[in-house]
Amino acid sequence: MSLKPFNKLPELNTANVLLVENEALFQEKLADAIVLLENNVNVKVRLARSLPLPLENAENRPRIDLVAFIVHLNSEQSLLSAEASLKHLDSGYFLGKVCFLVTGARCGTLPYERLTSLKKMAATLNSPLLMAEDKTAEGVNAAAQRVLAVLRVAAGLVPTATGLSLSSLTRCTVAKDPDWQNEDRSHLNQP
Amino acid sequence: MGFICDRSLRVSKNARKKSEAGDPFVLALNYLSTVEEGTPWKGNDALERHMAAVERVALGQGLPPEAISVLLDFALSLRIRGTLCVRVLKILIPASVVPQDAVILGVSWLCVGKMTVSAQAMFLRWVLTVFDLIDAKDQLRAIYGFIFSFLTEQSLCPYVCHLLYLLTRKESVRPYRVRRLLELQKMGRQPFLMHLLALYKVFSPELVTLSFPSNMKGGFKNHNSTWKAALSTVQRRNNVQVTSDLHLTFGLKQRPVSKKRKLNSHLTVPAVRSVPLRVSSSKKALPLEQVWAFPQLLENLDRIELPAQMGSMLGSSLALHYMDCLRDNSAFLRLNFWLGHALHEEFLFRREAGSQNMEEATRFLNTLISTQRLLQEGFSGTEVFLFRFLRVWDGSLLRPQVLALLSDIPVVPSSRIDLLLFEPLMQLFFTSSLFFKCSVIECLNSMLLKWLTWHSVYALEDGLDISVSSQTPVNMTLSGLMDSVVELVQFVGRIATIGLQLEGYHTLLLSFTLDFYQTVCDMYLKYDLPLVLMPPTGVFYPALLATSPVCVDQLCQIMYRYRTNLVSAKRQERQTEKPFHISRKTYRQFNQYVVSIVSCLWNSRAFQPDTGVELGEDLLAGSKVPEPWSSFSLVRHPAFLSYAVDFHLKCWPERKELELNSIKGGRRWEWYAEFLFCQGFQGVKEFVQSSFSRRSSAEDAEPTSSS
Amino acid sequence: MDDSVKQVLRQIIRRIPSNKLRNTLSKWEHISKKQFQSLEFTQAKSLLCDNLLSLCEENELSMKHVTELEMIYRIEHPAQGSWNVCQLIDPEEEALTVDSLHFKESFKAHLKCLINHVSVKMKKHEDDALWIRIAWGDNFTQPNHLKPTYVVHNLQTPYVFVSGLTMKHRPLLHQALVQSGHYGAVKDVHLSGRCLTALRDLLMRQYKQVFPVKHPKLLEEKTPLPRTPCIEIEDTKHAENRMQMAAEAFGEGILPKLETAVYKLETRFKENEMGREEPFRGVVKFASSNLLESLKYCVSSGMASAPVTPLLSSITQKGRNYFVITDKGPGISNTPGPKI
Repeated sequence: MSLKPFNKLPELNTANVLLVENEALFQEKLADAIVLLENNVNVKVRLARSLPLPLENAENRPRIDLVAFIVHLNSEQSLLSAEASLKHLDSGYFLGKVCFLVTGARCGTLPYERLTSLKKMAATLNSPLLMAEDKTAEGVNAAAQRVLAVLRVAAGLVPTATGLSLSSLTRCTVAKDPDWQNEDRSHLNQP
Repeated sequence: MGFICDRSLRVSKNARKKSEAGDPFVLALNYLSTVEEGTPWKGNDALERHMAAVERVALGQGLPPEAISVLLDFALSLRIRGTLCVRVLKILIPASVVPQDAVILGVSWLCVGKMTVSAQAMFLRWVLTVFDLIDAKDQLRAIYGFIFSFLTEQSLCPYVCHLLYLLTRKESVRPYRVRRLLELQKMGRQPFLMHLLALYKVFSPELVTLSFPSNMKGGFKNHNSTWKAALSTVQRRNNVQVTSDLHLTFGLKQRPVSKKRKLNSHLTVPAVRSVPLRVSSSKKALPLEQVWAFPQLLENLDRIELPAQMGSMLGSSLALHYMDCLRDNSAFLRLNFWLGHALHEEFLFRREAGSQNMEEATRFLNTLISTQRLLQEGFSGTEVFLFRFLRVWDGSLLRPQVLALLSDIPVVPSSRIDLLLFEPLMQLFFTSSLFFKCSVIECLNSMLLKWLTWHSVYALEDGLDISVSSQTPVNMTLSGLMDSVVELVQFVGRIATIGLQLEGYHTLLLSFTLDFYQTVCDMYLKYDLPLVLMPPTGVFYPALLATSPVCVDQLCQIMYRYRTNLVSAKRQERQTEKPFHISRKTYRQFNQYVVSIVSCLWNSRAFQPDTGVELGEDLLAGSKVPEPWSSFSLVRHPAFLSYAVDFHLKCWPERKELELNSIKGGRRWEWYAEFLFCQGFQGVKEFVQSSFSRRSSAEDAEPTSSS
Repeated sequence: MDDSVKQVLRQIIRRIPSNKLRNTLSKWEHISKKQFQSLEFTQAKSLLCDNLLSLCEENELSMKHVTELEMIYRIEHPAQGSWNVCQLIDPEEEALTVDSLHFKESFKAHLKCLINHVSVKMKKHEDDALWIRIAWGDNFTQPNHLKPTYVVHNLQTPYVFVSGLTMKHRPLLHQALVQSGHYGAVKDVHLSGRCLTALRDLLMRQYKQVFPVKHPKLLEEKTPLPRTPCIEIEDTKHAENRMQMAAEAFGEGILPKLETAVYKLETRFKENEMGREEPFRGVVKFASSNLLESLKYCVSSGMASAPVTPLLSSITQKGRNYFVITDKGPGISNTPGPKI
């Protein structure tokens, strides 16, 4: 059964985010940071390794406002698992209620294709792709802050913005993405 | 270096006097220099003992120059066969300098060709590693041709190329060498050959007609893995000992080295070291490190030698001044090469980011920033790095440094600015905190300022090449620059509009946005760029209706500057009869904004037809606000309400009830305006005075009436 | 002291890392306390070795004494080189009652019977394990002390751990073991690794095992509760399930340290039997610094599918890490080793 965005009523002043990560390495740290950061709104974090979510929790599960997939670029499995999980999301989520959190993009030893295919996936799904540093406390905090920023909009807590408008602004564009391994700088005439 | 030199002198003296044979190290050197050819190495205990003594000194304090000569000769001559050659090479850690003669001798052993290829490669790698420590390079340059001949050896080629790259001067570029390189290059486009050829092209563009990809990747690798750890240990230890003698540390702050630091981290700016410590007056070239005062730099300007490791230039302001006036393309090529390598390999693609690394990276980037500030120019190496880094940045790692570097980048052509800069910035901007949004706007503001400054200086000097690297605005036409500026201003308009919306029109963000427009509004008068760009309505109206008086005041000031710019542009247009770039639409928008401000603040006619923001009668009635049209007048405006109350109190101290409307009548209104001006609202004052006094006196120069 | 003794001593000293040298030498009874204190452990090894040699010469030590030093080091640091395990089977009646003194004598006698030049040294370790050092020669040469074989045998158990044994000497050792231990035969257990105690623990089942139960209540208590009510874990049940399965397959707590597991595959392609007579052969090797821990993590973290395939779980259940997988049916494989 796929997860649906609108089959439950929202709760007052509450935002729910679901963190999906196959390895369960980063999500707990991130969840702690998210909960600690937000004071004005009641933020609830749910952790899962993959979708679909177990049926037995369906009753108690509140409406999920944002699904954040955590992908570690150093593992192929991580990407594949996220890809598989996406199939169990209702298409309504792709109207601004999905985002990807990527770790390890800064490391040059990784296969570049993995990042490209992830970017392609995010681009076709119109979803933002957030880079994160999972190794340092500041990095986790920064990631939590950004997830919260997206979540606040996706949960409708920012009166002047909608998730759809935000993700159309920040969505990853891959078609024109320059190949940063062979960055061409033709405008600079090297002497 | 006094200490080391003394020491090495002492050692060599001791070596000569055999009688004082107490020191096992001296004994060992004696043994190794006199050992006969063909001595067995297996089970040779004496040899083993002497080697142990040498190894201890080498890995402990490093080897004095004499010892290096002896050991290198011993190793490469293969007097004792077996693995000894490699073993000795591995421990050749110089304490201070490497005598040039030793290296020359080494190259001559290379020519004999007894060594295995792997040993030859190792020797070359060693030379590359200690290249900066070689005390002179004149003779090495003299045997350039010999070294060049080793290019044919396939497995040595990368190292030889790198060595040649470091040794090449203008006079070493000869047609036959170019031909040889091109031949070799035909067999396989190796990056190291390409880099050497690129350097040749810098020196003699007429000889090398080949075109290179503008940004070559994967040039020379680091070959210092074998010696890196030991070398840095020895150097650090000796550095600590000799800092008191160092008189060369101009501008270069020697940090106390913490012992905890990882030995193999090297995102540090090397010390300026070019050539010898002893200066002979006959020698023409003067190494930069010996220049320690500005007058000396000026006197010797024509005979200064650049350091071998260009990265060291970053730490020294004198060196940068020199490079600035030198305008040596090859120097910049080398510096950018080093920079690109350092940033990519050591920082961006670093496997794990420990806190110590981050500390080091912060320091390094700060040095880079101050360097660029000094040169008032961004390096292209930094630029390439930044564009890549933005795409994988989490928006928080080293934020102050990254944004500062970003604000330094030279003008990006409008065709690529979207792809390189705006897209990654947008993705970061909208998903990050208010603080980040503010810092991005600030960064773009200072970027725009720098572009405009470059332009204004450049335009004034009439084509004179003032940019250091001769890479940036020089190649850019005026219209190209204008396109980029337009793109940048429009981009900020876009993101500021939506950003303000997302952040609930936060005063902080609004004030940063207005700071940006403070730069934009003066582009024509201050920076001589014939361009006037108005802020979008999404920025203008939030500022006009803001709760902070500072914002409203700033907006008024910006509008006043716009007026001054437009008026003088109009005048210019009439005088020169040149078609000007400012469109009627801009005038119309400006007038609209002025009307909005005046009707809102002054005439109490907000939300009426033709005032910019128009609201339906029924809607206004629905708000149940009495006299909605006057609720944003100077008296009722939320930003000025407290001032109005204050004024009211001062005017009618005995009144119990607040009747703000009474301020509006007659002279009181003028007094109130005067009162506001006294509170420091210069922007409002300027705006009011220019808008009203002119209307009565100089009607003709008024852009309001020109449309 | 002749040169060969010196050479052996030098080699032994070279193999012992400097930081362990002091400790090892202090346990060696053949130099006096005073002599030991005269040694300087800060100086280079080669110099230290020179000094030590002169002390040995003073004390007129022989090969026997020198090899003892090696044994001391080896017993303290058994994780040198790879250990293989074999099992003595078909015990006779006396097998259970054999005492160490008798075993020592009879083992030495049997081995000397089989080969002329062999040097055997035995030492009983604290945990009742009998350590045997064998330096092999052959009929015409003296025993080679540079490449000794080490055998560890706990009397009253059928397992024997062997390190550094060549194919040539294997039958000799096996025969001596069988005869002196009163067993019928020896078979290879197909278990090897660097850590001696781990091999023993695995074979003797001396690690915390978990057995399948219907209501894994205990495990539930172990999973940490989320710290705030705002965080909820969706697939707790699944995670528990996986942990249980992983624990059932590989045990709990500190697992025995194995480095490798090798699977040899031998199969025939069914379809083109006509074309291809040769069976298809392949080897799969898992390697890790702690293999069982890694495999367990794979299962518990969900990287590998649970339930665990018998191929992996038989490492602990059968106590072996070398497997040959063949098709069912006779006549394909001559390789010893049971199918799974």
